[in-house]
Amino acid sequence: MKGHQIQSKIISMEIEVLNAVRQRTLDQFTEGPSVKESRLFFLLLPFFSGKTWSPDIEASAKTVSIVYAALHAHDQVKEDAPIIKEQQLTVLAGDLYSGIYYQMLVNSNNIAMVQRLASAIIKVSESKTSFFEEEFRTVEEMEQAITVIETELLMSFYTFYGYTEYEMLAKQALLYIRYAEELNRLQANNYSHFLRELNTSLVHENYTKYWLTEKLDSLHEQILASIADCALDYELTQFLLHQITPHQHRAEQLTREG
Amino acid sequence: MEKMKLKLLYSDLKPELEMIEKELEQAVDSKSLLLNDASLHLLQAGGKRIRPVFVLLAGKFGNYNVDVMKQVAVPLELIHMASLVHDDVIDDSEIRRGQPTVKAQWNNSVAMYTGDFILARALEHITEIESPRVHEILSKTLIEVCRGEIIQIQDKYRLDQNLRDYFRRIKRKTALLISSSCELGALVSGTDEKTAAHLRRFGYFIGMSFQIIDDILDFTSTDEELGKPAGSDFIQGNITLPILCARKDPELYAMLKANLNKDLSNEERFKVVEAIRNSSGIEEAKAMSERYLQKALRELSFLPKGQGVKTMRKIAFFIGKRKF
Repeated sequence: MKGHQIQSKIISMEIEVLNAVRQRTLDQFTEGPSVKESRLFFLLLPFFSGKTWSPDIEASAKTVSIVYAALHAHDQVKEDAPIIKEQQLTVLAGDLYSGIYYQMLVNSNNIAMVQRLASAIIKVSESKTSFFEEEFRTVEEMEQAITVIETELLMSFYTFYGYTEYEMLAKQALLYIRYAEELNRLQANNYSHFLRELNTSLVHENYTKYWLTEKLDSLHEQILASIADCALDYELTQFLLHQITPHQHRAEQLTREG
Repeated sequence: MEKMKLKLLYSDLKPELEMIEKELEQAVDSKSLLLNDASLHLLQAGGKRIRPVFVLLAGKFGNYNVDVMKQVAVPLELIHMASLVHDDVIDDSEIRRGQPTVKAQWNNSVAMYTGDFILARALEHITEIESPRVHEILSKTLIEVCRGEIIQIQDKYRLDQNLRDYFRRIKRKTALLISSSCELGALVSGTDEKTAAHLRRFGYFIGMSFQIIDDILDFTSTDEELGKPAGSDFIQGNITLPILCARKDPELYAMLKANLNKDLSNEERFKVVEAIRNSSGIEEAKAMSERYLQKALRELSFLPKGQGVKTMRKIAFFIGKRKF
């Protein structure tokens, strides 16, 4: 499958999600359903690799995307924002998307998947909340929480349909993307809860920067190895490495800069 | 006191409700201490548990098995709880049932994740039931409840909206979940379709009456009785039935218009509340609630006589006369 075909399939999934959850007032006042390209790429990876991909599996992938959109909407609810229509409707957008994913799976008689996704949402919510707890946590515990937040929904999908061979690669790539985003936030002084807690644990901002860049380098190596293990074809590998996880070799650069 | 009276009405169901209460506690158990605290905080603030009660009562018309009934009753109450915790973010509410809300006690993000967690627990539980019909009804209800809330935001501060807008809103916001509680209770206990339909309609009418009374009480009760400031609906821009009925008085209309979407002092708030209390709006809204109540009672008349009907009738009368 060529790069443009991969891109086109991802866009078509985005449009399908948009159509499935469309609501006039929400369209007007909220940013609409948002699912990262990387998450869609990994949901569709078995299809791109030529694995068995029935209409039911495609529908199920769409519902996972809708869950992503629901949880993303709730992540956008701000702490100190005044009670404005946009914020109120963003809360309801997330709730509506949750109802829609449930209904879609019910309509395709896939109650087992509802249960899997519900269990995954529980784990994700627990991990997200962990960043608001007062207890001290180790860096490893933080990493564990981030891993669940970034990958649990996708892992449920892979496990349910037997696509477990992609688990390792997807975990590494999704974590890579998250840490790259966190590094950008750090450089822009736009701290997330995770960054704040990591900074507290590592004591100094420079150590946080170093920790993140090292993580990125190490994950990049692991991604290359996993691509080989999954035997992805040339086009798919190129798309993944250049569009989904472009690597900047930041640790080396930091070392050179002293 | 009122809540105790209500609980006395369904004292026949006490053992089952105690069991459901325990199940609710177990259902919100989480390895995250914070989620645990936030969910229990919400659970222990109490509530009328009207949805589980209607599930159980509807089940009395079929093959009643409490282990099956609780599989529906617990998720329905969880769904209601999840919506409350998100509603408090939407309304920026600090107090609910006299207790700080989850968003006030912690913050908006914790409230959002608590709601997501509780809803997911509800779905995890309900999927123990295989009947596609149960899931069709529940998923449709969830969507309609959300649409009702979206409409509520659309309609905020619109003093010129019509009565149909209001009824459409409360149908989705409240009546549907109560109606579904009755219908699902009937379905899982295997009642015949006719009985299930009467129970569904009973739930719908009683839900409409319940919400109208709730909207009246927002003006007629004290802050202490409500556990939140009286007139909160008006402050938040929710134009409820007492306002819609009262607005035909041109002076009152002008006063409401002048105070709408304003940061009101306590004195100004009391003035608005007092004006509505003294208007014809309260009596007209009560009459409307009574009409729904009578429709609900009529549905009961089609059901086989027994303890289930007796208790439902008592609850219906209580809802019509409750003080807060």
